[in-house]
Amino acid sequence: MSKMFHALICCRAGMGSSMMLKIKCDQVIKENNLPIETEHGNLDSLIGFNGDLVITMSDLTDELNADPRVPSAVGITNIVDKGEMKEKLEAWVAEHSE
Amino acid sequence: MWAGHTSKERTGDCMLSDLLSEELVLLDVEASDWEDAIRKGAQPLVDNKKVTPAYVDDIVKGVNELGPYIVITEHVALPHARPESGALESAIGIVTLKEPVEFGSADNDPVKFMFPLAAKDSDAHIGALQSLVELLSDPDFFTQLEKCATPKDVVELVHDKERSL
Repeated sequence: MSKMFHALICCRAGMGSSMMLKIKCDQVIKENNLPIETEHGNLDSLIGFNGDLVITMSDLTDELNADPRVPSAVGITNIVDKGEMKEKLEAWVAEHSE
Repeated sequence: MWAGHTSKERTGDCMLSDLLSEELVLLDVEASDWEDAIRKGAQPLVDNKKVTPAYVDDIVKGVNELGPYIVITEHVALPHARPESGALESAIGIVTLKEPVEFGSADNDPVKFMFPLAAKDSDAHIGALQSLVELLSDPDFFTQLEKCATPKDVVELVHDKERSL
């Protein structure tokens, strides 16, 4: 395993959907041995964030992609759909591992 | 920082049941639109001093500004706001809508179930959120929830489901 990527999982409030998203993402990351470590927070956590990736609910991705502080954003549409998370995170890792 | 919750996570002895009570459950609520649904669904949190009215306003403001990101899986919304906008005490409600309501979510509309959440911070409630995410992953939970006739039935359902996690 070469690089470990650092992801911020966030939502507006930083304590409801983002935490549930982190719980589910961490399960997917562990089950699939993805080289991603996660932390969670709210949109203010982007101040000073120097990681590789932001994971959020899909309705927030446009907002985040427009933010210059966000290196790359992955939006999840269904918080209980591990298949979706696996697919999107694997695709992101593949794209950024070259 | 999660060390204190390790045993609870392992045994399934979670805290979702602790945050839920009968007075926070509403069944077959009639709502004209998403804002009406949020305001009616979150009212028990206000009435029971779990949040201030400003907290509910902030939920609505968040959706107006950023879109329906609180619709987190098919037919399910998790109305919540920034803790500093007026969360007084941690709590979660369960609300079913008589007729499903459009929230504007491309993937998960229409909303039939709401779980209004008040939490001062997530780290203290990771066990409860963990149970909640597992319940939301369980189709049988929703089948049973639709059959519940009273708030008491709903609270018992959550207790039973949590015990079997």
